[in-house]
Amino acid sequence: MSNAISRRDFLKVTGAVGAAGLLAACGGGSSSSTAAANSAPASVAAPTGDAVELSISWWGGESRHEAYQKAIAAFSEANSNVTVNPTFAAWSGWEDTMSTKFAGGVAEDVCQVNWNWLYNYSGNGQTFIDLNSVSDYIDLSQWDETVLNTCVVADMLQAIPVSMTGRIFYWNMTTFNKAGITEVPKTLDDLMAAGAAFQSQLGDDYYPLHLGGYDRMIMMVFYLESVYGKDWADPATSTLNYTADEIAEGLDFIKSLVDNHVVMPLPTYYGNNGSTAAHQSNEWITGKIAGILEWDSSASKYQDALDDENKAGFTVGEEIKFGDYNGGFTKVSMGLAITQTCQHPAEAAMLVNYLLNDEEGAAIMGSECGIPASKAGLAAAEAAGAVDELVNEANSKVMAFCAFQLDPLFEHNNLKADGTGIYQEVFDTIDYDGVSGAEVVDVLLDGMESVGYTINA
Amino acid sequence: MGMKAAHRIATFFKYFVLILVGLIMIYPLLWMVSATFKDNSEIFAGISLWIKNPTLEGYRNALNDFGGSINIIQAMINTYSYVIPKVILTVVSACIAAYGFGRFDFPGKKIMFSIMLSTLFLPQVVLNVPQFLLYNSFGWINSPFYLAIWVHCAFATETYFVYQLIQFLRNVPRDLDEAASIDGCNSFQTLYKVIVPMLLPALVSCALFQFMWSCNDFMGPLLYVSTPAKYPMSLFVKLSMDGDTGFAWNRILALSLISILPQLIVFFCAQDQFVEGISAGAVKG
Repeated sequence: MSNAISRRDFLKVTGAVGAAGLLAACGGGSSSSTAAANSAPASVAAPTGDAVELSISWWGGESRHEAYQKAIAAFSEANSNVTVNPTFAAWSGWEDTMSTKFAGGVAEDVCQVNWNWLYNYSGNGQTFIDLNSVSDYIDLSQWDETVLNTCVVADMLQAIPVSMTGRIFYWNMTTFNKAGITEVPKTLDDLMAAGAAFQSQLGDDYYPLHLGGYDRMIMMVFYLESVYGKDWADPATSTLNYTADEIAEGLDFIKSLVDNHVVMPLPTYYGNNGSTAAHQSNEWITGKIAGILEWDSSASKYQDALDDENKAGFTVGEEIKFGDYNGGFTKVSMGLAITQTCQHPAEAAMLVNYLLNDEEGAAIMGSECGIPASKAGLAAAEAAGAVDELVNEANSKVMAFCAFQLDPLFEHNNLKADGTGIYQEVFDTIDYDGVSGAEVVDVLLDGMESVGYTINA
Repeated sequence: MGMKAAHRIATFFKYFVLILVGLIMIYPLLWMVSATFKDNSEIFAGISLWIKNPTLEGYRNALNDFGGSINIIQAMINTYSYVIPKVILTVVSACIAAYGFGRFDFPGKKIMFSIMLSTLFLPQVVLNVPQFLLYNSFGWINSPFYLAIWVHCAFATETYFVYQLIQFLRNVPRDLDEAASIDGCNSFQTLYKVIVPMLLPALVSCALFQFMWSCNDFMGPLLYVSTPAKYPMSLFVKLSMDGDTGFAWNRILALSLISILPQLIVFFCAQDQFVEGISAGAVKG
């Protein structure tokens, strides 16, 4: 066979081409990170009134797409020299797309960003401008300084928080009432009592709370913060603030919730639902799981999922104080940033200000991107009646209670991913093998170290 | 009589098993059709086909136009405006490349074939960034003609099809080429007068695969198309899927159903050729 290829030839060539491909990929990445050096000007050129074209990108669902487009149209009406070209899609695949665009230097002028993007794609300030340089056009006084500081990366204010979010309990009071409980749980004792009441009144299938792997991690941090009064990790350096013993105690706390019939054991949940999210599980829809710890922005998703009998019982709960401190963290749910490649930062800043602070713009945006973090924006949105009541209630409870900050590595995909993440692995091991916290704490610490945490314990 | 009865029973059981397995295979599709008429809680409540509270919301919402920038008709037109050139170019270029590798001896043939094959194993994820940078320097990002999505197909970059056609070509006797050249055909005439008709089933299956893959491609359009008015179906279907606040599944399923209709029609039209093409390489004559 003259045109057959020997195995060795084949491997040689495959290796060579593969290596070349890798080099090309790496080369592309590194050159782009050095090319756009930190060149944030002290202040930018003032708007000239000449015709200007801006682009903006966001992810979201239908109502957000419509709100943004309406607001942009209104902005262009007020500033007739500025044309704004939007691009938008759903979340899935969006980060891949944006990271490619950031690497290629062709991202839109104004980008809706996730908080950890600031660290992942602009750790040296190479992608986004310092918004202090456009403070003439954005009224930064509408945000609390602590809130703004969460977006300071590499000494630059790289994004403005559109909204803040945190986790809170939601309860299905229809089921709670059936178990003879009329008030939402406010203490750990209430929780434990609910677990016992559910088991005795309603049966083994009913649980007052469901927590998946990642939810358990958040609950554990919530608990530890309540007891010890310190951030999980340093928000700037991602140095873990807890010792192995303290974390083992937290893991045992979660285990005690499972053992006392407060939280559904993971094997039971997986057995019925696989990896399906809680709001799509039969247990949630029919009220067998009567509580969750979820983002404030997810309220309506969980309420809408309930069947007719249970829908009316959906209630935003109270944060629970497990120790001497108020536990729980808040984080930037999304921000708006202006890219280094933007040719007209002043006009872009005016657009950002319009969307977040302006009476007209913020009223159109309402709570489409979460409850506005800007004071003026929130006032305008509330005055226009464009704020989701349920989410607003949840958000104000979270913001009033949760005092701690999140570090950017906490949500690293290797840790939080469904099915493959370290968090889930740890809690799966506890539930499946019945081991104590001390036996699995090293798995957690090793996993955290591998994504970049500094661990002193 | 006994024989006849036994034959009937055997036939009955054959059909019974076939229908049962067939039903299991087609059930997800049937469920998808029925789910387009259900609301979210009913969709997640069970896998029954029965619809308790039928609703047409899904189809009604499928026609929404996202603030006027894109609607379902436009998205369909957009999809086919790059899928069709892509399919044609792929088939033509893959056929020529396969002809070259299958019928000619030239210096460096072995090494070039190996290089070509090795690209088969490169995952798309590795290519995304360098490809994006390349097309960016050509100015093809967000091109109104979708250049970044289909032009590369003119250069036989779909290695899988080239490989498939080469395998198929090996079964076409060289005597035919010789006969053609005796009759005065040059190389190209041999290709399109003799080889292409012989390869037709394989070419149809290449075209069908490319058609389906291109219609379903999500990352390509997401990277290279930024103007909402130019979005294809694969992006349009997902536009309303907001994982944070939730969304209506019946609408997504209705959209998916509408978007696969053209693919189904094309598939059924080409079915005979297609099945022949897939199995043709299996037995060596």
